[in-house]
Amino acid sequence: MVTKTEENQLNRLESQVDNAGGGAWEYLCLVRKLKLRRSDKVLNHGLSILNNPSKRSALGPEEWTLYEQVAVAAMDCQSLDVAKDCIKVLRKKFPDSKRVGRLEALLLEAKGSWELAEKAYSSLLEDNPLDQTIHKRRVAMAKAQGNIPGAIEWLNKYLEIFMADHDAWRELAEIYVSLQMYKQAAFCYEELILSQPTVPLYHLAYADVLYTLGGLENLQTAKKYYTSTIDLTGGKNTRALFGVCLCTSAITQVTKGKSKEEKEGSQVQSLAAKMLEKDYKQRAPDKLPQLTTALKSLTLTS
Amino acid sequence: MGSSSGDLRYELSQNAYIKLVLHSLNHPTSSVNGVLIGRISPSNDAVLIDDAVPLFHSHLGLLPQLEISLPLIEEYFSAKGLNIVGYFHANERSDDYELGGVAKNIGDHICRYFPQAAILLLDNKKLEALKKSKDRSAVTQLYVRDASKNWKLVQSEGNSRFSLREPSANLILLDYISTEKWKGIVDFDDHLDDISKDWLNPGLFN
Repeated sequence: MVTKTEENQLNRLESQVDNAGGGAWEYLCLVRKLKLRRSDKVLNHGLSILNNPSKRSALGPEEWTLYEQVAVAAMDCQSLDVAKDCIKVLRKKFPDSKRVGRLEALLLEAKGSWELAEKAYSSLLEDNPLDQTIHKRRVAMAKAQGNIPGAIEWLNKYLEIFMADHDAWRELAEIYVSLQMYKQAAFCYEELILSQPTVPLYHLAYADVLYTLGGLENLQTAKKYYTSTIDLTGGKNTRALFGVCLCTSAITQVTKGKSKEEKEGSQVQSLAAKMLEKDYKQRAPDKLPQLTTALKSLTLTS
Repeated sequence: MGSSSGDLRYELSQNAYIKLVLHSLNHPTSSVNGVLIGRISPSNDAVLIDDAVPLFHSHLGLLPQLEISLPLIEEYFSAKGLNIVGYFHANERSDDYELGGVAKNIGDHICRYFPQAAILLLDNKKLEALKKSKDRSAVTQLYVRDASKNWKLVQSEGNSRFSLREPSANLILLDYISTEKWKGIVDFDDHLDDISKDWLNPGLFN
């Protein structure tokens, strides 16, 4: 995950480089560090360095890292010839490298040669059975071929071994949500909250899934997690504020106003509603009338 | 009562069409969705889709964001005499032509308020081929509900049921694509992350 400062820094650099203001190498390093997917930019700016002999030699040993980065970006943009050339250069420099072997297998994937890619990955795994990247490629290949149940199976197997991989848990949760398997998605977010309890994103996602599942218990828990998101984000998270309002309204509908928590609940809801209105008034005043109406109808049902 | 969905035509305006396709291009690695805004024609024989609002590019299957966005959007447009008349969906993978559960559920939900609602599914192959094919028909597939409320594909060949209002829409779309206009598109996800971003995309077609 990327912080706001990092994102701003990246966007600044990106527009600087796009407008021929220099800083291409800095930009490429930042993209690599933050593990972002900006393949068209990386391809463009990376190639401009690689195709310029003096710029290329100025990189020293980092030249090979750039070849790797550009190869992957090229595959993402379906510029397979560029990718092939980069990989050839790397293969010449590092004839026995497993890292280059991974790139070659990735190229097979990019071409859609699934069986050949699978063979390549299997043989790479024989020598290095704990290579996380290759395990993840298997999941990606299953997904790319539309074999979502297969992707889920591989991903679950992966997480049995690498249970601390948060991105993998998130990916699994998202796949479950896309298939409307909300209970399973909830389980993933529970794992994430257990291991990283102060990350508001997980509280928010968990609350969203619980709300979608519905039922009184889930709605009450969802409300708790929307509230904890508000706590963790200093009240600045719009989705969590809306979430509290939605939950309170839904809970009242389910309990038909017989719940004792009602008074407390409506306090939290009116506080959240006030914060939303204040924020909209300041930053999105033309959308305020619709917000007021929507919030009113939510509070009327509670 | 107007005609049943079995007879209705669906007409898509250029602005709505381009917004939806640009939104998909802005998030090439995820599935995206949006709502169609419009009205029944005065002659009661067509649904006129005048505008569109791009909704989300992540977690499309979750309810809270939908339950926040739809009332806000409906409230805004009803003041202009328009309603939410349909749903747009673009799948994550370019070769996926299935109308998934999430899309059908949202479509069903919209049908509760506008029974003749339609679903448009992005046709990636057609979109990719657009540069060479100079095809004038939309790069979307149309789905409507049959009498048993199942979503059925309306066959596109020689189709009189679905048309682009402006015949040059694809030319304009290609132009926008070449100038990378998709970068400026704001969807409801962006709005919820930063409410100063306007999901109406007011400056898009200037």
